[in-house]
Amino acid sequence: MDDDELIAAVAGGDDTALRELFARHAPWLAARLRGVLPASEVEDVLQETFLAVWRGAGRYRPEGSAGGWVWGIARRQAAQWLRRRGPAELLLPALTAADGRNPDDPAEAALSRAEVACAVSALGPEGGPARETWRLMYVEDRSVAEVAELMGVPEGTVKSRAYRARELMRAALRRHEPVGREAANDR
Amino acid sequence: MNVELTELTRKFGHTRAVAGVSLEAGPGVFGLLGPNGAGKTSLLRMMATVLPPTSGTLHLLGRDPGGYGPRREIRRRLGYLPQNLGYYPGFTVTDFVEYFALLKDMPPRQVPRAVATAIEHVGLGDRARSKLRTLSGGMLRRVGIAQAIVNEPELLLLDEPTAGLDPEQRVSFRALLRDFGQWSTVIVSTHLVEDVAAACTEVMLMDAGRIVFHGTPADLIARGEGHGVGDAPLERGYSAVLTAARS
Amino acid sequence: MTGDELTGGYEGLAGRVLGPHDVDLDRVWLGVAAQVWRRQPGPVERAAGRLLRSPGLARALMTTPSLLLGWVIATATVLLAGVGVTLGTGTPWVGLIAPALAAAGIAYAYGPGIDPAWELSQSMAISDRMVLLVRALAVFGLNAALGLAASAASGAAAAVTFGWLVPMTAICALALATATVTRSPNVGVAAGATGWVIAILAGMDAEGQLTAAITDSAFIVPYLALAICCGAIVLLVTRIPRGAS
Repeated sequence: MDDDELIAAVAGGDDTALRELFARHAPWLAARLRGVLPASEVEDVLQETFLAVWRGAGRYRPEGSAGGWVWGIARRQAAQWLRRRGPAELLLPALTAADGRNPDDPAEAALSRAEVACAVSALGPEGGPARETWRLMYVEDRSVAEVAELMGVPEGTVKSRAYRARELMRAALRRHEPVGREAANDR
Repeated sequence: MNVELTELTRKFGHTRAVAGVSLEAGPGVFGLLGPNGAGKTSLLRMMATVLPPTSGTLHLLGRDPGGYGPRREIRRRLGYLPQNLGYYPGFTVTDFVEYFALLKDMPPRQVPRAVATAIEHVGLGDRARSKLRTLSGGMLRRVGIAQAIVNEPELLLLDEPTAGLDPEQRVSFRALLRDFGQWSTVIVSTHLVEDVAAACTEVMLMDAGRIVFHGTPADLIARGEGHGVGDAPLERGYSAVLTAARS
Repeated sequence: MTGDELTGGYEGLAGRVLGPHDVDLDRVWLGVAAQVWRRQPGPVERAAGRLLRSPGLARALMTTPSLLLGWVIATATVLLAGVGVTLGTGTPWVGLIAPALAAAGIAYAYGPGIDPAWELSQSMAISDRMVLLVRALAVFGLNAALGLAASAASGAAAAVTFGWLVPMTAICALALATATVTRSPNVGVAAGATGWVIAILAGMDAEGQLTAAITDSAFIVPYLALAICCGAIVLLVTRIPRGAS
């Protein structure tokens, strides 16, 4: 059964479908949340997430992506937890990164960073061409000429690699699919 | 010591089903072997506080089950699977395990999680809300095992638990026994000798109401050396001990 | 394909579900399953649990065969018929049938004849004797309440309206004692019904009146004596002898 059918079954009160959904999605959700929350809280948030899935499966519309819908629920639960615990809990390397901006909602920002981190991993392994290009151009803010010199490739190649990196990240962020699976296995 | 029996006897009319059994058992998995009519079930029923002994002393979990209060305390920490366990056909798996969890006086707040744990532990997680009348014999046996372990008992008594289980399920069941045997006393009455070999730290062989052998599986195998009857080493030991006891 | 083949062992989710190494996903699933699988007790059961200070006893009570909705409706229907007949003929039939109905309900409250998991119930911390007591009282109380309502509705005199409570106690005790000793609820019902018919006939013989069994105060002492004897028998049969005598 695909995810849409499973969620429909859950809406009909089938607990074995929920069990299958859990088996499929809990691992990558846990990996993504682990970047933002401590382990024991990941467990609590995941538990609340799947209970919410159980109760709210009737509201799912199959045009969306099942993974994205579940992540949306998990995200809300995590954000609630983060807000309840207060600013002290948000001492995450992700937040203290030096971009200097003060996010309006630290919880949302932390979660956005988790999403971005997962999307970045879609660019391939660290040191690979797409990822390296992205890092040099968008994190270190270098010009196309500088990047071409540092990587030893023509400027045209740099531009097309940058374009490809943007496309990959856009797709990853849009899908909210388990691109974090590879990252989870790396831990 | 979780179990201390001294010269325990049980008579039915003129028949002595259990004829003077003495036993001490701490944590571990104990196999109880023997032919039909040897008294295994009566012994287990006495340890489950269902059948009173005729004579001898019985101490379970440090208490004497003769008194109402101590007996209640023993039963809270006891898990028992009778040889013939009936089922309420209209109950679901969860209903059944939960019913006995409540009757074991478990704190109500702990019950839902304990029930879910027990059901997953016996591999019935995808049948949790199925009615018992829709289950096969092997699954019903596993439901019985689930109610026995739901309260994490310190004394777990299982009478022919693997009846109806296929070989793969028996393997998983033995792993469950070993888990529990780490910290509680598990006594398994069975006529399947291979169950004993794989999971038990000690083996007792009963015949005509008496314990005729008490030792490790290796000891029992040693007794079978040179004995002709039996296909496997443990079976030969079993047969050798019985022959010696009856001569 | 049977369910046994589908589950294939006790892995459950373990072995299939691997997340970050310090997140225990099996534990998470158990938390979810605990809430998804649990049964929510109804208001009556919750109230009974508070009253009895034991959710286990409340659950045992709610699963009494003669307290199930079908049975209660059947009892009420028969009593209603009795009301109709009483209003029609003037003879207080309600008082004559209520004890027999109650006896049947009590015989079906407990015991190896109706409880397939009987042996297991005997090893429970909440003892089968407690369960019996609570169930018997509940069935008796319910039948008494229904009977009194029916009696009042049929316009019977006060002496007749309450007069059958004592014989009902006696007949119920008889039915329960017989059911417990013979381990058969059917035998219990038969004993209760037979006993009641004998009492009615004896009353008719002595006084010439059909309702003598419930109105004649001379019967009260024998009824109570029977009730106490049968009660003692039930207690005796359900005990576990003390110690290792």
